[in-house]
This record gives sequence, structure tokens and C-alpha cells, in this order.
Amino acid sequence: MKALILVGGFGTRLRPLTLSVPKPLVEFGNKPMILHQIEALKAVGVNEVVLAINYQPEVMLNFLKEFEAKLGIKIICSQETEPLGTAGPLALARDKLIDGSGEPFFVLNSDVISEYPFQEMIEFHKGHGGEASIMVTKVDEPSKYGVVVMEESTGQVEKFVEKPKLFVGNKINAGIYLLNPSVLDHIELRPTSIEKEVFPKIAAEKKLYAMVLPGFWMDIGQPRDYITGLRLYLDSLRKKSSTKLATGSHIVGNVLVHETAKIGEGCLIGPDVAIGPGCVVESGVRLSRCTVMRGVRIKKHACISSSIIGWHSTVGQWARVENMTILGEDVHVCDEIYSNGGVVLPHKEIKSSILKPEIVM
Amino acid sequence: MRSSDEKVVAVIMVGGPTKGTRFRPLSLNIPKPLFPLAGQPMVHHPISACKRIPNLAQIYLVGFYEEREFALYVSSISNELKVPVRYLKEEKPHGSAGGLYNFRDLIMEDNPSHVFLLNCDVCCSFPLPEMLEAHKRYGGMGTILVIKVSAESASEFGELVADPITNELLHYTEKPETFVSDRINCGVYVFTPDIFTAIQGVSSQRKDRANLRRMSSFDALQSAARNPPTDFVRLDQDILTPLAGKKQLYTYETMDFWEQIKTPGMSLKCSALYLAQFRFTSPNLLAHGDGTNSATIIGDVYIHPSAKVHPSAKIGPNVSISANARIGAGVRLISCIILDGVEIMENAVVTNAIVGWKSLIGRWSRVQAGGHYNAKLGITILGEAVAVEDEVVVTNSIVLPHKTLNVSVQEEILL
Repeated sequence: MKALILVGGFGTRLRPLTLSVPKPLVEFGNKPMILHQIEALKAVGVNEVVLAINYQPEVMLNFLKEFEAKLGIKIICSQETEPLGTAGPLALARDKLIDGSGEPFFVLNSDVISEYPFQEMIEFHKGHGGEASIMVTKVDEPSKYGVVVMEESTGQVEKFVEKPKLFVGNKINAGIYLLNPSVLDHIELRPTSIEKEVFPKIAAEKKLYAMVLPGFWMDIGQPRDYITGLRLYLDSLRKKSSTKLATGSHIVGNVLVHETAKIGEGCLIGPDVAIGPGCVVESGVRLSRCTVMRGVRIKKHACISSSIIGWHSTVGQWARVENMTILGEDVHVCDEIYSNGGVVLPHKEIKSSILKPEIVM
Repeated sequence: MRSSDEKVVAVIMVGGPTKGTRFRPLSLNIPKPLFPLAGQPMVHHPISACKRIPNLAQIYLVGFYEEREFALYVSSISNELKVPVRYLKEEKPHGSAGGLYNFRDLIMEDNPSHVFLLNCDVCCSFPLPEMLEAHKRYGGMGTILVIKVSAESASEFGELVADPITNELLHYTEKPETFVSDRINCGVYVFTPDIFTAIQGVSSQRKDRANLRRMSSFDALQSAARNPPTDFVRLDQDILTPLAGKKQLYTYETMDFWEQIKTPGMSLKCSALYLAQFRFTSPNLLAHGDGTNSATIIGDVYIHPSAKVHPSAKIGPNVSISANARIGAGVRLISCIILDGVEIMENAVVTNAIVGWKSLIGRWSRVQAGGHYNAKLGITILGEAVAVEDEVVVTNSIVLPHKTLNVSVQEEILL
């Protein structure tokens, strides 16, 4: 079975992290975002993944080489020379996706994190016998998204309504599809949208079915949603494989601590924290709702909440880092500094406090 | 001991509860003159400076606070300094010169040769013996302590011009609209007893004028609004301005520090100045420690002997910790005044703040400000018994007494 992951461009929404690393390689819960997807695909028998990418394919491929061997899965790139929207990349990768087996293939949006119930999706797809299946997820405010209007019992999709002003339903496109190869016949090689141009046609033929995604779903393409997504992911990990989560008197709620990270005395960690490999968290540190990337040092008595600390950064003694502070790679926050929502580009030293959310170039 | 006519008396004007409103919320709990700077009541600094005056016979505190508010302090400081210190309550404000005149009989009781007059709300090194020496050389009725300030800030004070050779006061004007001079009045004076005659002169002139004005009801209305009562005599406008250039008043310029303590923010700055002065005057009051047996101390820090500070805390510079305060493990204090009975829990940070009596600062919480002493919210002030819960951040804010903060606040005044 094959799968296509829509990686896209520069990942500008997740800057400053994506100034150092392509978005799919940014760790989420101590694992590069794209590996969450590749591992889940492998688990249901996918043996070849095509990455639709238009930026730095070399970096990606170099990184993914080791996982090709480790997971026993083939990873190839389909590079766009111009942005092709959400459907164009499928046409571009047509030859890589069609192998004559007639088997359906997965298409995933790389920004999306969920429990990836691919097995259920395969069964759902076989069950309805249509041409395409899409996952939908229930949201509180459907007016912000494209709503999928469907027949509730069978899942047959009637139409797509972009940002509806009046309530038409609360299920939105979750960015996870299972498509028969014949769908590619509907797609031209030009910048085009799968939601607006391709799916409506298939829906009109009554061959498009939607399955409500069990479990959590989050588009983690931007920092605020990344932090919310980590909470949902760790909640799900607690239910599925709680042994991966840290335990102890200094732990509150769901916390992921890499085995090579060191935590000092008198700390209080959690809830919803991920601490990456090689990190050093000194004594008396408080961490909550944050991600601490590989090689970070948090010095004594510092307090971090609702923030992302980029690779190899340091946070000084008695520093306070909070409210969607995002530190890029190799950022050094001096002792006693306060950062309220500072977004700091890589390789900076922060010597004076940031009292209100601002970008530090 | 020289003859009795060489005796010196000092009078410190402490004001009253209706004054010093800019010092709220701290003055809601304590008379401003008793608010601690560098761990000692504000009025303690001029009092201990008076102790250096040769032949000092008596110190009077004059103000319109209730007597009981000063009773405890006055008795303990009298004992400590071995100089009688007495509080004299004015029934109503008489102005700085009027207040002095009001108690002339008591002040002159022992026939002192000189009378010092000090305002309580100034912060300086009070070079009183040096002033007295200069005053005796000049041979005038009064000598005023002056300091050179920036031309921009001079207009907030009494500006004066002095003869560069003789140091005679040539011209005096209070808070002028245009620039007169960059030399200002520090609010510290030494007088011969003739000052009482001068004040009496102003007072009786007032009475005469008031009698003359009783002509039309319109004038009476106007004068009631414009003119103070006849026994209200200001030292600056009513004495210094008219007597300037008459070879009666002279100036003594200080090269040390000088600040006026009008706001809580300034009290933090003045606390720093007094702590720095302790290095020379009272080094025994400054704390020391390197984190092995006692807390790490950076710069000038005062810690009351009854306060408990965990050895893993790091304190300073410019920190004063009052009686019975408890500073927990891993706490960081920078530029702050911690008042009596405050408890600061583990890993909290306090910087550029005044933490009111019996307040509680939770774990990993942070009480902070930008540190602009003169700005309205430049220093964070917590009133009495304020609770800041764990991990809460309080930035550039003023919190009135008995509030509990369970969410972070920034640039707010919480009633």
C-alpha cells in the first residue's frame, strides 16, 4: 500500500522553529511530526510513502534515510517546482502512486496530529465501495472551517461548505484521505484544491464517503495549536500506552521525559510537558504545558509555561518564560529574565525582559 | 561640655495623615515617616544624622499624626540614641515655619544656640555638623542645605541663587515655571533663634492684611480661598523668598546624594541610597553570605535579625528584609523591600517591588516591575496581606491590601 504526505512549503506558521528544521522534522512529543504519521502508516501495511514537498527535499531525505531502514518502508520525494495547492501534488506524484495493483492509497496533510485510525479507515472504505473516503472531525466552531455535509448513517458526503455563516453541520475535513487510484483521473496537473475542485465532483457522483475520526485531532501548524495538540496527544498516550509517560512525586499530569534527559531535585513538571533527549533540567525548576527540545538546559529555579524551547537553548536561573514564548534554536535567556510571549529567532541572547508578546529578530 | 547657650535642638517635620497621599497604598497602614528604608523607619535616618551634631540636647518630631502612632518609636529611639526624642502633635497644619513657631516655647526651653529644621521626606547624607560649622562662619540667621540638580528637574523644587564667594542666598523661588537656577533647596536648615522673630513678623503682617481686607464680602470670599490662615507660615515662600539677598540666609552645598521621598517608587531608590551609605556609617547592618551556611548576598542588603532566609536563596542588590519575614528555598530577591511578616515560598522571584506586611508570595510566582522609580507603575507595590498564588506573575502593578491574586496581572491597579 502507498501513501502521500502533503508536506508543502516553508512552514512559515511554525517559525521560528522551521527556520532551523523543515516542519515535518520538528519534534512533537519527542518525535518528528512526520514520523508519527509514517509509523502509523507502516502499522497498517503501507510500504511506500511519497512526500509532496517544495522546499529542502535533501534535508528531509537525508534525515529519513535512517528510518527507511529502521521501519522497512520506502520514502521518496515528489518535488513541486511551483506550489500546486492541495490536489496538484497528487497529479504530480501520479506515476509514483499508481502501481497497477488498483489498491487505494492514503493522502495525509502533514500538519495534522491524531490517533491515525487507518485500519478502521480501510475497513470503512471497503465497506462503502465508493471511490474516496475522507476523515472528518467534530469541531466547536465550524464557521472557521470547511464543513462536510454528509448523510449521518452511511457517511455519504453531500457537499462541502466553506466557512458557513449558518450552521450546516459540525464535521470538518480532517485532512486524512483514502483514495482509489481512479481519483487521480479527476485531477489536472495545475494548482488546484482537493476540497474545492476534486471532492465536490466525486461527491456529486455519490462516491465520496466521510468517516468520523475517533479520538483527538489537531492541526498543529502553529505554536498555539502545537501546545494544545501536545495536551491531546499526551491524553491519548495516557489511555493507549501510559508506560511511556513519566511518573514520580515531581510529576503532575501527563509528562514525556526522554530517557537521556536529566531532572534535578525539587522540580515540579507537568501537566502536558515533553522534555527531549539530552536535556538538563536543574533543581527547583517548574515546567508546565511546554515542549523542551533536544539539548536544552533549564537552569535552577526557572519557571516555564505554555511555551516551546527550541533545540540547544538555555533558560537562565530564576527566568520566567510563558504565554506562547517560542525560542528558536540556540537561544539563550539570561538569568532572571521574564519573557511574556516572546518569539525569538535562532541564535539570540535575551538580556532584557520581554513584558509583552513581541518578535525578537 | 561647653556652656549651655551652645546647645543645639533638632526639629524634624513629619507631616500628617492627610499629607503623603502619593505614598498610598503603603501609607494606608503606617505613617509614612515610619515606613522602613534600608530596614530603618524613614525618620530614623535624619534622627541618627542628628546624633552626630555636637551638643545635641533634644530632637522634636513635629506633625499632625496621632501621638500614639509615634509613641513606641519615639521611646525606643530615645533609648537607643541616648538623646531625648519627643513627638509634638500640631492640632492642624501650620506650614513648616508655622509648625516650628507653634512649639517655640518648648524648642527654646533650654536656650539652644541653634535649631536644625529637617523635612522627614528627604533622603540625603544629612551633613549636619558640617552645615553647623559653615553656618557659624557665615554669621547669618539661617543656612540652607542645597544641591545642584539637572536643569530639567530643578523646577519641581525650590530653586535658589547663591553668591559663589560668600554663599549668601541671593534669590529664592518655589517651583518656578521658568528656569531660575539648578541649585535647589534640600529641605534641611540650621537657624539661630532669631528665626522665631522672623516667623512672627510674617504672621503679624498677615493679621494686619486680613483686617484691612474685611471691607467687602467679595474680598472676604476671595481671601478665604486664596490666603492661608494667619498662623500658617510656609518656610519657603514666606521666609526664604523675602529674606533672600538681605545677608541673613546662607547656603551649604552638598556633593552627596539627595532625593525627595514622595512616592513608594522613590522609597525603593532611597532605600538603595541609604543601604549604600551603611557601607560607611553602619557596615554592621549589611548582610553577608556566599550560599554555604547562609543565603548568597549580592551588593547592599539589609536583613532583620528575626527574618529567616533559606541558604539556597539569592538576595540583592538593594534588598531590605524586615522583621519576621520568611524567605524560602531557591527564592531570588532583587531591588525590593520586604516588609514585616512576609512569606516568600520556594523559587519565587521578586524584583523592583515592595511587598507589604504579612503578604504571601507563592511558589514559582513572580512579582516584578520595570524599575522606573518615578513612573506611576514603575515599581510593583503589594499592600498589606496580599496573597500571590503559586506561579502567578504580577508585573508593573499596585495591589491594595488584603487581595488574593490567582491570575497574572500586568499594568493594573487592583482595588
